[in-house]
Amino acid sequence: MPDSPDKDPVVSQSLAVYLLIGSVLLLITLWWSLYDEFFGLRPWKVYERAFVQRYGAFLKRQIPNQRAKEKMIENSPEYLALKQKLADLEKETAPKAKELDAESAGVEARTNAVLNLLTTDRAYVGSQIYIIEHTLSRGSKQSLQKDLDKYKSGPFELTLPRAQAGAKEETLRLTFDELEDKFNDLQKEKGRLLLEKASLLHPVSELQNQVDSYVNDHMDGLTVEALRGLQKKNEDFEVEIKQINNPDAGIVDRCESCHVGIREPVVMTRKDMGGMKDPMSAAFTSHPDAELLRIHGPDRFGCTPCHNGNGMDIARVEKAHGHDEHWLWPLHPMANVEAGCQQCHASDMVVDHAPTLSQGKQLFEWRGCMGCHVYQGYDAEPEELLSTQRSIEQSEKQREEDKLEAQKSVQAGDQAPDNETAQKLYLKANELQVSISKINLQIDQQDRRVKNLMQDMKKVGPDLKEVRMKLRPEWVPVWLDNPHAFRPTTKMPRFRLDEDELPAVSAFIWQSGLNGQLAKQPAGDPAKGKESFQTRGCLACHSVGEGSNTVGGWFAANLSRVGEKDNYDYLVRWIHNPRERTSPYCPYEKRDLTEDDYKKHGLPFVFDPEHSKCPNDGHELLVEQMTPMPNLRLSVDEARNIASYLMTLKEKDPSSYPPAPYLNDPKMKAKGEEIVRRYGCAGCHEIAGLENEGRIGTELTAEGSKPLEQMDFALFIKQAKAKDWYSHKGFFEHKLARPELFDAGMIKAEGEELKMPDYDFENKPGEIRSLTTFLMGSVTSEYPERYFYRPTDYRRDIQEGWWIVQKYNCMGCHQFTLGQSSVVMTLPQYQTPDGKGQLPPRLLTEGARVNPEWLVRFLANPALSEKDTDRDGVRSYLKLRMPTFYFSPIEIRKLVRFFQALSQQAMPYIPAKQELLTAQEVTMARALFTSPGAPCLKCHAIGSPSHDQYATAPNFLLAADRLKPDWARHWILDPALIDPGTAMPSGLFKLQADHYVFAGPTPPAFKGYNGDHAELLVRYLFELTPQEQQRLIQMSGSNLNPASAKPSTTENRRKPKSGSGGTLLGMLGKSH
Amino acid sequence: MKKRIILSLAVVTALTLFLVACSKKTEETTEQPAETTTAPQPTPIDQSTVGEVTGKVAFDGAKPKPHRIMMDQDPVCVQKHSGPVFAEDDEVNSNGTLPDVFVYVKSGAEKYVFAPPADPVTLDQDGCMYKPHVLGVMVGQTLKIVSSDATTHNIHPMPMDNREWNMSQAPGAAPIEQKFTREEVMIPMKCNQHPWMRAYIGVRKTPFYAVTGSDGTYTIKGLPPGDYTIGAWTAIGGGKGQTQEQNVTVGAKATKTADFTFKAPS
Repeated sequence: MPDSPDKDPVVSQSLAVYLLIGSVLLLITLWWSLYDEFFGLRPWKVYERAFVQRYGAFLKRQIPNQRAKEKMIENSPEYLALKQKLADLEKETAPKAKELDAESAGVEARTNAVLNLLTTDRAYVGSQIYIIEHTLSRGSKQSLQKDLDKYKSGPFELTLPRAQAGAKEETLRLTFDELEDKFNDLQKEKGRLLLEKASLLHPVSELQNQVDSYVNDHMDGLTVEALRGLQKKNEDFEVEIKQINNPDAGIVDRCESCHVGIREPVVMTRKDMGGMKDPMSAAFTSHPDAELLRIHGPDRFGCTPCHNGNGMDIARVEKAHGHDEHWLWPLHPMANVEAGCQQCHASDMVVDHAPTLSQGKQLFEWRGCMGCHVYQGYDAEPEELLSTQRSIEQSEKQREEDKLEAQKSVQAGDQAPDNETAQKLYLKANELQVSISKINLQIDQQDRRVKNLMQDMKKVGPDLKEVRMKLRPEWVPVWLDNPHAFRPTTKMPRFRLDEDELPAVSAFIWQSGLNGQLAKQPAGDPAKGKESFQTRGCLACHSVGEGSNTVGGWFAANLSRVGEKDNYDYLVRWIHNPRERTSPYCPYEKRDLTEDDYKKHGLPFVFDPEHSKCPNDGHELLVEQMTPMPNLRLSVDEARNIASYLMTLKEKDPSSYPPAPYLNDPKMKAKGEEIVRRYGCAGCHEIAGLENEGRIGTELTAEGSKPLEQMDFALFIKQAKAKDWYSHKGFFEHKLARPELFDAGMIKAEGEELKMPDYDFENKPGEIRSLTTFLMGSVTSEYPERYFYRPTDYRRDIQEGWWIVQKYNCMGCHQFTLGQSSVVMTLPQYQTPDGKGQLPPRLLTEGARVNPEWLVRFLANPALSEKDTDRDGVRSYLKLRMPTFYFSPIEIRKLVRFFQALSQQAMPYIPAKQELLTAQEVTMARALFTSPGAPCLKCHAIGSPSHDQYATAPNFLLAADRLKPDWARHWILDPALIDPGTAMPSGLFKLQADHYVFAGPTPPAFKGYNGDHAELLVRYLFELTPQEQQRLIQMSGSNLNPASAKPSTTENRRKPKSGSGGTLLGMLGKSH
Repeated sequence: MKKRIILSLAVVTALTLFLVACSKKTEETTEQPAETTTAPQPTPIDQSTVGEVTGKVAFDGAKPKPHRIMMDQDPVCVQKHSGPVFAEDDEVNSNGTLPDVFVYVKSGAEKYVFAPPADPVTLDQDGCMYKPHVLGVMVGQTLKIVSSDATTHNIHPMPMDNREWNMSQAPGAAPIEQKFTREEVMIPMKCNQHPWMRAYIGVRKTPFYAVTGSDGTYTIKGLPPGDYTIGAWTAIGGGKGQTQEQNVTVGAKATKTADFTFKAPS
């Protein structure tokens, strides 16, 4: 084998091709990375550049429009007049200003002349004084002082320029001190001239400010100048990451790197920013609720605390929005965007700017979700009751310990060796006795709280203890089978009872009912009853008619078929007073008391909020029905009429219901009870024997932050992931729409199935959305305290008040805040001129209007009378009177504070001292009151039935107790400002100089009076007595209905100021 | 050589064009002179061609029972009347026609602009009744409310579309002058002190309206030729009253008839 050398690769092979490929690849990678750097990885740069361009164009488009608006304002007569006024004033002040300027210039020139001379001399004198001060020898000091004095005596020759034209130049020879005086005088003169000029020009500059701000103030949108400012800012825009960094909350939100225009002070829609088809335009709109953004400044709060999403990630839209498997908090979808409010606003029942969430919060209570599910804040009374009872026990224990300790101290003192020790021990015993007294008083308070809390506890559904008295038996199984079939709008859900369970449950409910005897009621007049039903306010909560014919409120049951189910005698009793029970329940003995329990102790069978103690053991009883329905204080006759009318409401005859003999079958009861317990029926109903059942559902306070893996998707995980509903939102929506869904395909033993009943939400997509929003927002949160809305000032009173307002549906009749309307306002019978006069009062300024102490009394007893209760205490003319809600003092306190807080009134209210009227003023006020120009008594009630049938306004005798004088004055000056549409006319007073005078013919008594007529009238009103009112009626004579000049009934008279009922505490103690 | 020059010229031109095309798009200046909004000028109408719509409003059914007004609560009102007073809302003329029906051009005249007349429409309060009971005003026209009664009234229109107000007027006080800014049929007007007092005001942008009198007829004059919907409103029936409408075509100088028949309230 020849030994030939290997081929030399260096010579024979070339790597050029590989190198070429490599370098091309490298080049491509370089380009790619550069491209990615500038475009791929930083999509926000594209966004920012596009935004700058589109925003610039948008601003440019705005300018002509805004300029036109500006022009219009500038051409408005008001603006021109203002400008003219400014010009006139400038012209007027110009000569004087010029004069002052000239004078100032003269003074200035002379000052300079003095200063020229003074500066060097003063420096010399200063330095000489320094030398004298620092010379030690007395002799040198004296000689130096002498030299200085000689120097200061001058003379210094001063040439002053002319003071005025024509005057001579002055030459003066002065000493140093005189020179200094001269200088100081000139300075003073200069100051005086400056001040004079400033006060001369002050009105001019004021007016100038007015002119300058006029266009801005009257502009709709931004001025051209402001737009130009925005344009400039936009031109200087720097393309960079825009981020909010809040280290205390752990927030780094870069959302504004794409949503660049979110905070701009203009309204930009998608259409403005590139059109609906361009996906980028969605990022460029301004925030849809500028006010909301203003309250929650993004620099303070960031974006993600409200909206969720991954604030740090800006590489891709999906990632930034948190639509990523590994990001736990994806952006709230638009439909549920208000979920973000809940975590910080959990204590609010009504959240402004968040109607969907607010509805969800209300639904949670109204539909009775809290009957099964614990949710902090909802139905808090039972827990509070428990903790109060516990703290009573603790106080009692403490009291016993203190007693023992006191005894011991006394004994030890008795046997003490010396007086000093004995005194110490006796003192200790005394102190312990005082603290025992304190504990006693505290226990009294807590006892009362227990009573009040029991009064406040309500159930979502009716009391099932009274079914036997209330219902037709055959109706029970029909209802239980499918409540929505009988009453589509009912809040009672459908339980999935099979054919064995349905009769068992019906039988248990029926047999657990109490056997009571009801008084037999004679029939009423259905026609009159219908009239009452429509005018007494029933429709604020209840509705009648089905489908599109429904009229009335949503809060309580639709009564269209009530005649098919109810027992007339029970219905009369219920309408007369829905809070009346047939027997009280004792939570201590855990049973319903009977007449015998009372008889045993020689007591009448009377139980109500005033008689609420158990005759056997003194414990607090449940004496009222746990319904929010109030007592309308109707006569029994009227209750019979209404009941008779309601009994005519039916679709089919009750006799057509199939009989249900099994209801009385005792064998069914046990099985029925087991099912009723399993489904937690006692969460919403009172059921005999099940009074202490707990809530059967999961707590939902933080359901929105429960890990998805822990949510019971059962066999649906795959499907949910595929169909994009594997999320909290998806779970809630599906669960609400079909609560049994997640049982599908599961093999479960009987009784193990999902228990949540069916609320027919499938037909109520709006409710699903609201509740889902609420639940999505129900999360645990680790943001710093400053994020949460937990006010401690008056706003807390507002928060707490809303819970009560919603609990009793006060908004069925009243308006509390601007923009909110009541149910009755929308009813057809209140649309006519006469109907509008029958609307309940609007309460927009209630806190400023009424004295809170009076409000306490009124809320406790709206008839303002113990005997004459078939009326409204304030507006006797209203058919739709304020009913009695039997609020506990706890709720009254909250409501009164709520009103005071809404009007931002200080609590407690301390009325300003009113100056007593002089005899002369009384004469004047009487004359005004009875003058034909101010027929006040024509509309205001006076307590005489013949007159009051025409009255459309409250009796003046109420004013002193009820109103606040400041409000009263504003009211009579222009009632329409406070309550647009009120029956009380405006224009009764007109402004004359600085006070209001009566606009009609002024009575002669007013001659020479310079006071405010409105104020006089208010002071008079607040001093009005029944005797004085009689006098007025007599004085009015023929101006009033002649029949009215009869003495008023005593009920309307003001009670004497002293004595009971005067103070808040006194009242709270008295009521119930 | 020449070729090369042409080529280089072409390249330069192309480059220039390219640069121009690539340079930042200069936005067209859109700042047009601002249009100032002033009151639109009234439309000129050729008076030689105008026609009119006339007709009669009949009532079908039993006459409603007259509703007597009891004025006892104010003797001043009682004194002004010698006999009993009845509510005007249910009035039917003796010839079976309806008075106080507000008949108006509901649509078809939108294209014509009218300046509100300088003369005010006067509403008097006399004997605690409004006179007239039904009236029309134009948008922006002054409604002058006077009182011939020696008692205090308050004038309280209760509109749906206009702004509500409520002014007191003492005896001898100056007339109240107000304007309505939006079209509305009808605005009920009441006095809270004399709750039976009721007037109805129709507010229109055009002068094409009329109110039937004691013979139940009406005439709307000065209509330019064209198609119109004529509306008629009566208070009869209570509540918000009843309305009817019908379409008419008015030719030049023509008189068109449009009759209405209202039924008794059920």
